[in-house]
Amino acid sequence: MKNNLKVERAIKNLTQGDLAELIGVSRQTINAMEKNKYVPSTVLSLKIAKLFNKNVEDVFFLEDTD
Amino acid sequence: MKTRFLFPHKYKKIGWLFLIPSTIFGLFVTFTDFEPEWLKLPMFTIFSQDSLFGGGNVKCFSIIKTNVANEIAGVCFLLSAMLVAFAKAKNEDEFITKIRLESLVWATFIHFGMLLLGLLFVFDFDFFTFMVFNMFSLLIFYILKFNWALYKSKLL
Repeated sequence: MKNNLKVERAIKNLTQGDLAELIGVSRQTINAMEKNKYVPSTVLSLKIAKLFNKNVEDVFFLEDTD
Repeated sequence: MKTRFLFPHKYKKIGWLFLIPSTIFGLFVTFTDFEPEWLKLPMFTIFSQDSLFGGGNVKCFSIIKTNVANEIAGVCFLLSAMLVAFAKAKNEDEFITKIRLESLVWATFIHFGMLLLGLLFVFDFDFFTFMVFNMFSLLIFYILKFNWALYKSKLL
């Protein structure tokens, strides 16, 4: 699964640490997601999408390998 | 995040505070056979035999006199290592829980892999010494791996 977290974050002018704090996770989690090293849970994806006022599908995308 | 089976974060520091001295004490007791007379105390036993190789005097649910130096070392090590291993990280979330699980699986493989090698290649009384370390090695491997993985994820 891919995501455009980095882009959305840039639009809102948030650092990884800011986003982590707003969502209530560690900074490592945001970092690992942006590096495609971690696939977040449904709850976390929904929280992130809600924060950006987007649908989950606009932030997270399935890859062919999924 | 809501977690099951984990201690609050503050116990991690307390754990480290006791883990380091009890590790040193434990190694000291093991390698020097430290058994001072004043630590020979009456202890309650569920089952014990006074001969190492069986055929000795069997005692069940009674009081025996034994040196408690190794008991103190073992109990202090176990309790503090459990706190270090299973106290929540500062910001325990689902990603850290995943690191935790992967580290636990890794440590279990190494732990039982070593036991397998020990069973095959270590014999007689050396096997007993090996077993003493093997009893604690799962926790040790897990603590090392988990903290290393956590440290690496911070550097990413």
